[in-house]
Amino acid sequence: MSTVLEQIEQQIAKLSNKAVKKNTGNIRTVADGVAKIDGLSDVMYNEMVQFPGGAIGIALNLEEDEVGCVVLGDVSQLKEGDEVTTTGKLLAVPVGRALLGRTVDALGRPVDGKGPIDSKETYPVEKIAPGIIVRKSVSQPLFTGIMAIDSMIPIGRGQRELIIGDRGTGKTTITIDTIINQAKINKVGLASGDKNFRPVYSIYVAVGQKNSNIVRTISALEAAGALEFTIIVAAPAADNPANQYLAPYSGAAMGEWFMENGMDALIVYDDLSKHAVAYRQISLILKRPSGREAYPGDVFYLHSRLLERAARLDGKGSLTALPIIETLAGDVSAYIPTNVISITDGQIFLETDLFNQGIRPAVSVGLSVSRVGSAAQIKATKQVGGKLKGELAQFRELAAFAQFGSDLDAKTKAQLERGGRIVELFKQPAFSPLPIELQVAVLFAMQKGFFEAVDIKKVVDAALSLKSFFTTRKDALLTEIRTKAALDKDLEAKLQAACEEWKPTYSA
Amino acid sequence: MASHAKVAQKFARQLFQMSVVDGVVSADRVSGVLEYVEKHNVANPVMVLKAYERLVSTELAKGVAVVEHAGAINAAVLSAIAASMTKKYGRPVSATAKPAPELLAGVRVRVGDDVYESSVAGQLAALSASV
Repeated sequence: MSTVLEQIEQQIAKLSNKAVKKNTGNIRTVADGVAKIDGLSDVMYNEMVQFPGGAIGIALNLEEDEVGCVVLGDVSQLKEGDEVTTTGKLLAVPVGRALLGRTVDALGRPVDGKGPIDSKETYPVEKIAPGIIVRKSVSQPLFTGIMAIDSMIPIGRGQRELIIGDRGTGKTTITIDTIINQAKINKVGLASGDKNFRPVYSIYVAVGQKNSNIVRTISALEAAGALEFTIIVAAPAADNPANQYLAPYSGAAMGEWFMENGMDALIVYDDLSKHAVAYRQISLILKRPSGREAYPGDVFYLHSRLLERAARLDGKGSLTALPIIETLAGDVSAYIPTNVISITDGQIFLETDLFNQGIRPAVSVGLSVSRVGSAAQIKATKQVGGKLKGELAQFRELAAFAQFGSDLDAKTKAQLERGGRIVELFKQPAFSPLPIELQVAVLFAMQKGFFEAVDIKKVVDAALSLKSFFTTRKDALLTEIRTKAALDKDLEAKLQAACEEWKPTYSA
Repeated sequence: MASHAKVAQKFARQLFQMSVVDGVVSADRVSGVLEYVEKHNVANPVMVLKAYERLVSTELAKGVAVVEHAGAINAAVLSAIAASMTKKYGRPVSATAKPAPELLAGVRVRVGDDVYESSVAGQLAALSASV
C-alpha cells in the first residue's frame, strides 16, 4: 500500500508548481476539415494545435487576424467558440523497425487491428531535405525484378524514378513487383550471412485510393512474403484531405529513419496526382490564391520538398523514391506530370496501347529514361543488355516504316524479327519479379541467338523453359553470376554451355 | 461577398489604428470613429463595425488579466498579479477576479491569448494526458 502512495507522491512531486503558459484561440469557423481560429498569436507555421475532444490540427495559414488550421481527426465535434491551444511541437510520427509489417494512417497510428505499435522514436513529418555535402552519388543498384526496367532503365539506391501512365496501365503493379523483389533479395541476402549485405526496406504510401485497392495490395505483398519488410501508410479516398496531404510526408519520415540509421529504404508514393488534388482542396478552402488548373502557387514545392528527401547519404543509408503520376489520355505535358518529371531523376512511361496489345509491363522504351541509374547498373547487365534500348528503338522505327511496304530486304526482316523477339522476351506476368542473375542468363541467351530458331509467338514459352532450366539445374551458376556481378570469359563459357545444354530440351 | 468582407476588414483595421494612442485604445478616439461611421455613408457599416469591435476587444483583452480562481482570492494577490503582468508585457495590465470552482484549487490567469495555468484541474489534465 505504501509503495502505491509513494508512487503517487512522486508523480505529484514531478508536477511543477510553476504556472504553465499556453497560447490560446477560439474557433471562428469550421468547414471541410479546415478551422479558422481567432487568437493563437504565438503559433508557429506547421505547429500542432490541440482542439477540444482530442483532435489535433496543423497551423498552415498565419494571417493578420486569424489562423487557418487543417484538422486531423473528427471535425464533427468541433463548434464555433471552442478553445484551441498551441502545443509548441511540430507534427511527428513513430518510426523504426516496429512499423515493419504494419499498416498505419497518416499519423502513424495502426489501422490493421494488430494491436499497438511498440515504437520508441518519432521523426518530424516535415523536414528539410539533406544538403549537398552529406550526399553521395547514386552508384548502388536497386533491382526491380522487371527485366525491361533493370536492363534498360536501371534504378539506383537514392534515386527518384517517376512511374507515369494512364489509369490501368500497371503503374502500381510495377511498384509492388519492386517491393516483392526487395523482400526476395533480402531473404536470400540475410540467409547467406554476408556481412556486407544491405537489405532494402519498403514503404508503400497509398494516397486517395479505394480501400479495396489497398487491401488487394496488402494481400499481394502478404502472399509474396514481402509484408514483413514493408510499412503501409494508408490515406484512402474516404480519409479527409488533410490526412491525404500529410501521408507522403509521414512515409518519408519513416523512410528517413532507415536512411539515417545506415539502412536502405524504398518508398512508393501511390499517387502524387491525388496528393496534389488533396492539397488543392485544402488550399482553396484556406482561400489561398489559385493558379493553373486551380492548383496553388506552391504545388511545385509541395512535391519538390517531398522528393528531395530521397537521397543516398555519405556514410549512412539511402532512400529511393518511386512516385506515381496518373495521366489523362497519355498527356505528359499536363501541369502536375511536368512538375514531377522535372523533379525526378527519370521516368518509366507506361502506354495504354502497349498494355492493350498484351505487352506487359507496358513500358514505352522511347519515352522512359533513367538519368542516374546506369551508374548503378551491374557490369553483367551492361554486358548483355547494353545495346537493347537502341535495338528496340530501331525496331519500333522499322516496324512503323514496314507497315507501308510489303517488300523488305533480308536485313530489315531480320532486324524486325529480332526486335519482335526482344519485345516478347520482356513480357512478364504481375507479381513475379525475376532475380538479376536469371535476367542476365536470359538476356545472354537472347544475345547469343538461342531464341532465333524459336517462333516469335513461342518466345515467352521458350524463355519460361530457359528460366526453369536455370533455376532447377544451374543454381550454382546463377549464384556465381550474382556474386561476381560481371561476366568474365570463364562465366561466359559456362553460360554458353548451359544454354547449349538447354536448347535440345526445349521443343517448340 | 468575399471582397466586401476584405474591404470592410481593411477599413476596420485603419479605423482601429486611428483609435490607438501610445499603444493604448483611446476611448475618445473610439467615440470619434463611431461618430464618423454614423455620419458618413460608410459601405457595409455592420460588417465594418463588427470587424472593428473584434480588433478593439482583442486589444483591450491584452490590458486585462482575468484571474480565474477556486476559493477566495484577496486584493493583494490580484495587485501582485497585475504588477507582474505589467512588467512582463511592458504595458499597463489590470487584474479582475472571476470565480471558477471547476479549477478545484489554484488560479488560471488569462491575458489576451495567453493563459497561465496554475490550477489543480490543469495539473490533473496534464497528468491524465501524460499517462
